Amino acid sequence: MAEGSILIVDDEYGVRSGIRTILEMEGYEVAEAADGASALAALDERDYDVALLDYRLPDTDGLSLLQTMKQRGCEAMICMITAYANIDTAIAATRQGVDFFLPKPFSPDDLEGVIVTLLRHKKARTEAERLRAEHEASLLALAEEKTQTHSLVSSLRDAVLVVNRDGDVVLANPPMLELLELGEGEALMRPAQELLGGGALATLGEQLAAPAKDRTVRQLEIGEQAWMTSIVTFRDDDGEARGRILTLSDISEVRRLAMEKQKFIRTMVHELKSPLGSIKGLLEVVTDKSLGEDLDQYLPMIARADHRIDNLVELIRDLLTLARSEQAPEAEEAELVPVAPVLDEVAELARERGGQRGVEVITDLAEDLPPALIRPDDLQLVLSNLVGNAVKYNRDGGTVTIRGAVVDGWLRLDVADTGIGIREENLARLWDEFFREKRAETRELEGNGLGLSIVKRLVERAGGRLEAASVEGEGSTFSVLLPA
Amino acid sequence: MTTPTTVLFVDDDRDFLQSKQLYLEARGYRVLTVESPDAAMALLERETPAIIFLDLMMEHVDDGFRLGYRIGKDERLSHIPLVMLSGVAAETGTRFDGEAGGLREWSRLARFLDKPVTGKQVLAVIEELAVVTPDGEPAAV
Repeated sequence: MAEGSILIVDDEYGVRSGIRTILEMEGYEVAEAADGASALAALDERDYDVALLDYRLPDTDGLSLLQTMKQRGCEAMICMITAYANIDTAIAATRQGVDFFLPKPFSPDDLEGVIVTLLRHKKARTEAERLRAEHEASLLALAEEKTQTHSLVSSLRDAVLVVNRDGDVVLANPPMLELLELGEGEALMRPAQELLGGGALATLGEQLAAPAKDRTVRQLEIGEQAWMTSIVTFRDDDGEARGRILTLSDISEVRRLAMEKQKFIRTMVHELKSPLGSIKGLLEVVTDKSLGEDLDQYLPMIARADHRIDNLVELIRDLLTLARSEQAPEAEEAELVPVAPVLDEVAELARERGGQRGVEVITDLAEDLPPALIRPDDLQLVLSNLVGNAVKYNRDGGTVTIRGAVVDGWLRLDVADTGIGIREENLARLWDEFFREKRAETRELEGNGLGLSIVKRLVERAGGRLEAASVEGEGSTFSVLLPA
Repeated sequence: MTTPTTVLFVDDDRDFLQSKQLYLEARGYRVLTVESPDAAMALLERETPAIIFLDLMMEHVDDGFRLGYRIGKDERLSHIPLVMLSGVAAETGTRFDGEAGGLREWSRLARFLDKPVTGKQVLAVIEELAVVTPDGEPAAV
C-alpha cells in the first residue's frame, strides 16, 4: 500500500474523479478542490504531500494559486497539469517553484510515476529539513553551553586566563582583568606574554610559555594579596593541546591564618622556654652550691622552681583547652545546665581566694533564670575564669558582682569587678592568646594570657558571645550572652 | 683589694635575675639587676657596668633592641658590650639574632644567646667580652 496525501485542484469534475480513482486504488489519501479558493481552504485544514494543480482555474490560474500557497507556507510538492502545455509555460512554472509538469492527456501509469517520484522527493526534502533543524538546534545548544561556560568562569573568585596555542588570550575573567588592570574585552586575542608584562606577573608569562614539565604551582605576592598560581594545558577530545589555562587563587586569608599561627607558636615557645630557663637557672645555683654548703639556703629557690613548674603545667593544660575549644562541639555534649549550682561553686572558691584581701563576691541571679545550653565543663570554665580574674584584678576590699538574667532573648551573665580596669586601647586585644596588659598594677600578678581566649571560644562555641566593658582604675564588666 | 667587675642584667623574669646574681656573686662579681628598659636607663646614669645582658622580649617584643640602641647612642656607655638573650630563635624559623636588617649593628649587639642560658654560659661570655682593665677596674668612665 502506497502512503501519501494528495490534493487535486481542477475545475473539471471528470479529471478530478479520474485521478482520484486511480490514486485511491493505489492506496493514497486523496482530496479534491474545484477552484483556487477551495484549494486554499483545503490546505488550511491540513497539509498534503503532493498538490496537483490545473493551470486554468475558474477564479485564478495555477501559477497565482501556487504563489499564494507558498506564501502561506505550503510545503506540498507541486505538479502542474494542463492541456495548454508549451515550453514557455513549463519554464515559467518551474521558475515559480513547480516541481513537475504533467501535460494532459496522461496515462494512469504516467500519473503514478509522477506521484511516486514526487513523494520520494518530498521525503528527501523532509529528511533534509529535519537534519537542518537538528543541526541548528545543536549549534544553538553549543552556543548556549559556551555562554554558560563563560558565565561560570566569570563568576569564579579565582582569576582565570585562557590562551590558545599561539599564546593569545581567548578568555580573561573579571578578577583576572582587574589584576591586569584591563577593561572588558581589552585582553582578547592579545599575546598573554605582553599582557602579563614586566611587573609582578612577568614570571607567569614565562611559565605560561614554558613546557609543562617546567611549570610549577607557586606563590605570588601582588600588593597586599597572596596568590597561588597554576597552569594547566587543556586538550580537545582527541588529546590535542588546544591552549593553556592560568589560574590565580587568592590565598591571602590562608596566609594570614598561617602567619597568625606562626606568631602563636613563636609566643608559645617563648612562654614555655622562659620559665624553663628560670627553673634551670635556679637549680644551677643549687648544684653549683653558689650559696655554700647549707642546704636550707636553697629552699626558697627550690620552692620558686616548684612554683614555676606548676605554672608550666597550668599553661600546658590551658593550651590543650584552647586547642579543644577550637574544635566544633559534639552536639550531644551540650546540656541544659542550671546556672545557679555552677555559679555557687565558682563563687565559693572565689570567696576563699579573695577573702584575705577583703574582696566580696555577690551573686544575683533572676529567680526564673533558664538553664544554659552548653557543656557543663565549659560553663564551669567560663565562670571560674571570669570570676577568678575579677578577684585577681580587684583592689583590696573590692567587690565582685555576678548577675544573671534574660535580656533581649539572651541568657546574660555579667561579672563585674571594682578593680584596676583595662585601658581602652587594649580592650580589642583582650581575646588574643597570651595577651596581658603590662602595667605597674599587673606586674605582681601572674597569668599566662590564655584565660580570656579560652572563655571567648567556649562561649562562641555554645552559640553565644562575650563582651567586655571597662574604665581604667574603676573596674571591668565581662558579659556572657548565651542563647536562652 | 681589687674592685669587682660589675655585670648588669635587664630581664623581666625575677627568678632568672636572682639565679644569675647568686651564681655570679659566688664568683666575686658585682651583679646589678633591673626589670625594665626604663629602670636600666635610670640605673645607667650612675653605674657603668663592664657588660650588659638584655632580654629581647620584655614589655614589647623588641625592647632589647631598643634599649641597645639607647645605650649605644650614649657616649659614656657606648663602649659597653651588649649581650642579647631570648627564647625565640632558630626553631621558629625567625631570625632574632640581630643579623637581619642591620638590627645587630643598629643595636650594637656583641653577642646573641638563646635561652635557656646557664650561669656557665654567662660566665664564659663575661670572661671573653667584659671590658676589664688588667687590675680589674672597669675600662672606661
